[in-house]
Amino acid sequence: MTITDALITSVIGICVVMLILAIIAVLIILVSKVIRTIESKAKKSPAKSEAVIGSPAAVPVSDGANNGEVELIDTDEKTAAIIMAIVSQKSEIPLNRLSFKSIRLMDENEKGGDK
Amino acid sequence: MEMVKDVLLGLWESSGFNLMTWQEGVMILVSFVLLYLAIVKKFEPLLLVPIAFGIMLANLPGAGLMADPAGLMDASQKVAGAHWYDDGVLRLIYAGVKSSIFPCLIFLGIGAMTDFGPLLANPVSLLLGAAAQLGVYVAFVLAILFDFTPKEAASIAIIGGADGPTAIFLTGKLAPDLLAPIAVAAYSYMALIPLIQPPIMKLLTTEKERKVEMKQLRKVSKTEKIVFPIVVAALCALIIPSCASLIGMLMLGNLFKECGVVDRLTDTAQNALTNIVTIMLGLTVGATANGGTFLRGQTLLIIALGLTAFASSTAGGVLLGKVLYLITGGRVNPLIGAAGVSAVPMAARVAQTEGRKYNPTNFLLMHAMGPNVAGVIGSAVAAGFLLMVFGK
Repeated sequence: MTITDALITSVIGICVVMLILAIIAVLIILVSKVIRTIESKAKKSPAKSEAVIGSPAAVPVSDGANNGEVELIDTDEKTAAIIMAIVSQKSEIPLNRLSFKSIRLMDENEKGGDK
Repeated sequence: MEMVKDVLLGLWESSGFNLMTWQEGVMILVSFVLLYLAIVKKFEPLLLVPIAFGIMLANLPGAGLMADPAGLMDASQKVAGAHWYDDGVLRLIYAGVKSSIFPCLIFLGIGAMTDFGPLLANPVSLLLGAAAQLGVYVAFVLAILFDFTPKEAASIAIIGGADGPTAIFLTGKLAPDLLAPIAVAAYSYMALIPLIQPPIMKLLTTEKERKVEMKQLRKVSKTEKIVFPIVVAALCALIIPSCASLIGMLMLGNLFKECGVVDRLTDTAQNALTNIVTIMLGLTVGATANGGTFLRGQTLLIIALGLTAFASSTAGGVLLGKVLYLITGGRVNPLIGAAGVSAVPMAARVAQTEGRKYNPTNFLLMHAMGPNVAGVIGSAVAAGFLLMVFGK
């Protein structure tokens, strides 16, 4: 094989890889749009509240209407919101079905905790 | 007294110490060095330990662990009347490499362990994974320049894909004689990614680019994750049928993981199966490194070309990252392009570490995982292309 042939093969090769991965990227975008449209339509009817789960940063510190009061001990509201969002996401339980009684900053020497 | 002397002489003459050639001795020493790197320095130990041990076993004179009297894979060794079961045990296991069963099963395990979520959340990552295959084609041209045959050049070039099973898959089909040096080079460079990539990343980017913080990725739904492996496997296999075995197994493993109804299969693919195949793959790949074929100037050249391939792939990813940085008005950090060289998740970790050096609040890991897993698909497609062109 001559160098020219090798160069041509290489150019075609990188173009083929780029093209196939670009096609996959376009397909992902299209399929995602279709799926998200179908899912958002399905979600609209039962309850709007579940949409909150997808955006943890938007979670309110305490959702009094659903969960009652959360007692914050040595914890700021931002940290409490993050903790509640993480618990909700990891447990896959919507926030409106979780009940937080209190969130307390633990002492370094303390072992375990009640919440 | 004469009898004792004869017995001792016979013992010496049949011992490995007497039969050993200098090449075998050197290879055994090489295996010790590799074992040291794997155990003490933790260089890809899961693969380097079996590879190094395989090198040692295959170079023990008289043991015949890679002997092929039946001529199953090497007609020159054929002995009249020998059956397949007369072959050395490592030669028989090696059939799994020769037939591509092992690399494909490893891909099944990789698929079952990989989360394509970051890629689905940011599909542009796929382009970075494609650009990071640049080294494959740079190394191919260079290998042709150094008088390698096209099949050998293609096998050497795939080191740039930074994907061990893909390199073994392609080399096993195109240039099995080069399997050992290519596998050792590929895995060694993967272990050395934290040393190879940062200088290239730094050289090709400005401090401003390295500081870019990227927007949080959207949440990907379960349905998207289930549809993805099915669509990609069908599409890739239809466009380049020769990549169907690798991509097909990768996507099957991923479907196991994402569909959520075959937990036992997912667990087996992620753990037991991958571990078993890794042992057999590593051991027999190492066993192909016999002194006669490994200790040549050609091996050093392959190692040098492999490094060039790796560096060029990193550069390709970073350069496309820079293009995306310009197109998006500075919303893409070019460092994540370097993660396009497959090698999951080491390359993504390097992008994360380098990003934080210049902006301690930056968290690039998940953004880099997109190009990183795209690199796995990209290297399999590149291997499929080379197999389609040179596999006839």
